[in-house]
Amino acid sequence: MFARLRVFFRFQESGLLLVILALGVLLTVFAGKVRTPVFERAADGMRTRVFTTDANGERIPLTVEKNKFLNAQNLAQLAKDTSFIAVMAVGMAVVIIAGGIDLTVGAIYALASVVGALVLHRYGAEGLATTSSPVQGILLGAGACLGVACLCGLFTGGLIVTLGVHPFIITLGGMAIFRGIAFVITKGQSVGAFPVAFRDFVRFEVGDGLSFVPLMSMVVVLIVGWIFLSRLAAGRRVYAVGGNELAARFSGIRVERVKLGVYLISGLCAGIAALLSLGYYGAATSGDGQGYELNVIAAAVVGGASLTGGRGSALGVVLGALIIQMISSGIVILGIDQNYSQIIIGSVVIAAVVLDHLNTWLARRRLTATAH
Amino acid sequence: MSAYLEFRKITKRFPGVLALDDVSFTVERGTCHALIGENGAGKSTLGKILAGVYTADSGQIQLEGRVIAPVSPLAARELGVAMVHQELAFCPNLSVAENLCLGDLPRRAGFVDRAALRARARTMLATVGADLDPDTLIGTLSTGREQLVQIAAAVGTGAQIIVMDEPTSSLSAGETAELFRLIRTLKARGLTLIYVSHRMEELFALCDHITVLRDGRHIATEPIPATQPTRVVSQMIGRELRAHAPAHLARELGPVRLEVKNLSSAGAFNEINLNVRAGEIVGVAGIVGAGRSELVQAIFGLDPAVSGHILVDDQTLPLGSIEHALTAGLGLVPEDRKRQGLILGLNCRENTALAALPLLTRLGFVRRKAESALASKYAQRLRVKTPSLETLTAGLSGGNQQKIALAKWLARDCDVLLIDEPTRGVDVGAKAEIYQLLDELACEGKALLVVSSELPELIGLCRRIIVLRAGHIAGEVARAAFSEATLMQLMAGVPDAA
Ligand SMILES: Nc1ncnc2c1ncn2[C@@H]1O[C@H](COP(=O)(O)OP(=O)(O)OP(=O)(O)O)[C@@H](O)[C@H]1O
Ligand SMILES: [Mg+2]
Repeated sequence: MFARLRVFFRFQESGLLLVILALGVLLTVFAGKVRTPVFERAADGMRTRVFTTDANGERIPLTVEKNKFLNAQNLAQLAKDTSFIAVMAVGMAVVIIAGGIDLTVGAIYALASVVGALVLHRYGAEGLATTSSPVQGILLGAGACLGVACLCGLFTGGLIVTLGVHPFIITLGGMAIFRGIAFVITKGQSVGAFPVAFRDFVRFEVGDGLSFVPLMSMVVVLIVGWIFLSRLAAGRRVYAVGGNELAARFSGIRVERVKLGVYLISGLCAGIAALLSLGYYGAATSGDGQGYELNVIAAAVVGGASLTGGRGSALGVVLGALIIQMISSGIVILGIDQNYSQIIIGSVVIAAVVLDHLNTWLARRRLTATAH
Repeated sequence: MSAYLEFRKITKRFPGVLALDDVSFTVERGTCHALIGENGAGKSTLGKILAGVYTADSGQIQLEGRVIAPVSPLAARELGVAMVHQELAFCPNLSVAENLCLGDLPRRAGFVDRAALRARARTMLATVGADLDPDTLIGTLSTGREQLVQIAAAVGTGAQIIVMDEPTSSLSAGETAELFRLIRTLKARGLTLIYVSHRMEELFALCDHITVLRDGRHIATEPIPATQPTRVVSQMIGRELRAHAPAHLARELGPVRLEVKNLSSAGAFNEINLNVRAGEIVGVAGIVGAGRSELVQAIFGLDPAVSGHILVDDQTLPLGSIEHALTAGLGLVPEDRKRQGLILGLNCRENTALAALPLLTRLGFVRRKAESALASKYAQRLRVKTPSLETLTAGLSGGNQQKIALAKWLARDCDVLLIDEPTRGVDVGAKAEIYQLLDELACEGKALLVVSSELPELIGLCRRIIVLRAGHIAGEVARAAFSEATLMQLMAGVPDAA
C-alpha cells in the first residue's frame, strides 16, 4: 500500500491531482444548493422542460435541488471551458520548455477567430456562397483559421530567431499587432451566421450537456503533445534548447529551427482553440480572448512548466488549465465579484511560481539536510 | 594533544548514493592536506561539508577540540573556513572589487562608497600578492586570475582553512606555478589547506599528507614522504593500474581525413594548416589563450567569421555550419562540460544520446531501447558512477559529468573527432580507460585531433603534436622527439638553447 502511494507521489503530476481534488471538495462544500429545472430529451433530440401540476392543478416547471458545483451541467461546462485553455496551454508549455514565452496566444486566438469567421460567414445563411456545399465552407473556414494562426506563430518565431531579441518583447509587440489586424479587418464588428452544420458538429452533446468535440480535441492535443514532448526526438530537442541553449548548439541541434517550431506549435494550438470557439459560440469579434495569455501562461506555470526552461509536461499543463478554470468558475459559483477574478488568477500564478521555487529549494534541502 | 582539524565518522547520503561512509581522519595545522580518490569518491562532498555547503547526515567535525557544524558557507566563513570551488562562483558582470565585498558593500548615506570599496579590495588582493585592478570586470579575467580573486576573498576575510577543489584543472602551466607559490606562502603563514586534485605529481610536490577515499570510505591517511604514487593509485582504485601502450602507433596510417588550409579567424588564430589521417591521433598543445579551443570550434563550424578551407575526405566543407560538419562525420567534445557539453537538467541517458539522436530515431520517435543500450554501454565503459542512467547530470560529480560529455560524442560514432580536454577532472583509472578507448577509435581508422593542457597525456597518446602559440602554429613535433621540455619551449616561445 505504502509502496504504491510512494510511486504515486513520485509521479510528477500527483501534486496537481491533489490540488484539483482539494479544490473540488472545497467548491462542493461551499458552493451551496441551487434549484434547476429538469429537462428531457424528446424523440427528435430537442431538449424540453418537464412540467408537473401542483395542488391547484397549475402547470409548474419541475425542478430539482443540486449542488451548485457538483452537478453534471456545471462539470460539463467546466470541461468545455477547460478545453479551450488547455489546448492553448499545451502549446504554451512547449514554448516555455524551450526557454521562451508567448504572449500572443490571446491575440492569435482573436485574429484566427475573425478570419475563420469571415470565411464561414460567406458560407452561412446570410453569406454570398450560401448555395455551395457547407462542407466545403467548413473546411475552408477551418483551414483559414488554423492557417492564419500558424502564420502568426511563424511570424513571431521568425522575428525572435532572426532579430535575436528576447521573446517577451517580440510577443508583446505581436500581441498588439495581431489584435489590431483583427480589429481592422472586422472594423470592430462581430461576425456570425455560420453554416449550421458546423455549429451542430462542435456543439454536439453527449450525456447531460457535455460538449464532446472540445473535450475530445483537448484529449487529442494532450496526447499528441505528450507524445511529442516525451517520445519524439523533436521534443527532446525542445528540452535541450530550453535546458542549455549553448550546449544544444554544440550538440548539433539547430536551435533556430527548434525555436521557430515551438512558436508555430503555440500558434497552431491557439488556432485550434479559436476554431472550437467559433463553432461553440457561433460568432467572433476582435475582442475575443482578451487576457487569455494570462490564463494560459498561468495554466502552464501552475502545471509545472519552468519559466527558466527545460522542464514541464503536457499532462501537467492540462491539469494546470483545469485548476485555473476551477478557480475561475469557483469565483462565479461562490458568488465572488467577477472583477476579483483577474486578481485571484494573478495571485495564483505568483503562488505557483513561488511554490515551484520552494519545491526546488526543498529538494535541495532534502539533499543536504541532516537525516535525523 | 588533540588534532587541529578532525573529521569523525562523517556520513553523507544522496538519493541513491552513499557519498561518504563513516569517514574519519585528522589534518594538522599549517599543512597542505591532499584529498584524492576516483570520480564520485566523495572528495568534493567532504570539502563542501567542511565549508558549510552541505550538512553531514551523521558524524562531527572538530576544530581545535571544539565541535563545529557550519550550516551555511557564511557560517563556515565565520569559523575561518573557506572553499575555492572549481566551478567559479562570482558574478561575471561585476567588478573584482564589487565581487570581493559583495556580502558587505561599504556604504555612505545609502550609496556605495566607491573609494572605500576599492581600498578594501586592494588590501584583500594584497594578501595574496595579486596586482589586479579592482575595477576590472570578473568576466574579463582568465580562470587563473578569477581563482586568485577567490583565494583573496578567502584569505582577506581571515580564513584559516581553505579547501581547494581541483584548482589547477583549468589553469595554464604558468598560472599553476603561481598558485603553488601562493599556496606555499599561505602555508608558511600558518594557514591550513585541503587540496583536492587528480594530478598525482602536484600532490606529491605540494602536500604534506594525503588522504585517499574510495567509494565514500576512508582508505588511508599518510604522510607524503611515506608513500608513492603507485601505492596511492592502488589504494584509490583498489587494483593495479596497467600502463597501456597505444596500439594505433604500430599501424599503417590511412588517407588524410581532415585537412585544414589557411584557416584564420580574427583575434583567435591565423593561417592554420594541419591535417589528420585515418588512424592517427594528433595532439594540439599550447598555453591558455593560444587559440586551441577556438581552432577546434571553428573546424566544427561554430565560428561564423572564419576564413580559409576545411576538407573532410577531400570534400570541401562549407565554413561556419555545424550541420555540414556533422554530416561530414565531424564531432567536437567541447572544453567546458557545464556550459557547452551537458544539459544539466536532462538525465545521463538523454545527454549521452543527444548528439546521436538522429541515429536513434525511427519516424521521429526516439528508440528507447537502443537509446538505453547505448547509454549504458558507454556508462560502463567509462566507469560512470551514478545511481542510475535516469539520474540528472546535475547530480553527478565533476569527473563523471566529464565522462558523460565525452560519451555523448563517442556515441555518435564520428569519423573525425575533435576533443578539447578529454580528461579534465577525470580520475586516473578512468583516464586510462579513456586513453584506451581513443586508441581503439584510432585503430578503427578514425581521425582524432586532441587538445590538451596535460602534456603527459598528449605525449602518451599522440603520433605527433602541433604546438600553437598566440594563434600561430609554432611547430610540430613528431613522436620520436616528444619531451615535455621541447613542447614547453615551443609553447612559451623560448628560443631553443641547442
Ligand atoms: N547534489 C547532489 N545530488 C545528488 N548526488 C550527488 C550530489 N553531489 C554529489 N552527489 C553524488 O555523491 C557522490 C560523491 O560526489 P563528489 O562530488 O563528492 O565526488 P568527487 O569525489 O568530488 O568526484 P570528482 O573527482 O568527479 O569531482 C557521487 O556519486 C555523486 O553522484
Ligand atoms: Mg569533485
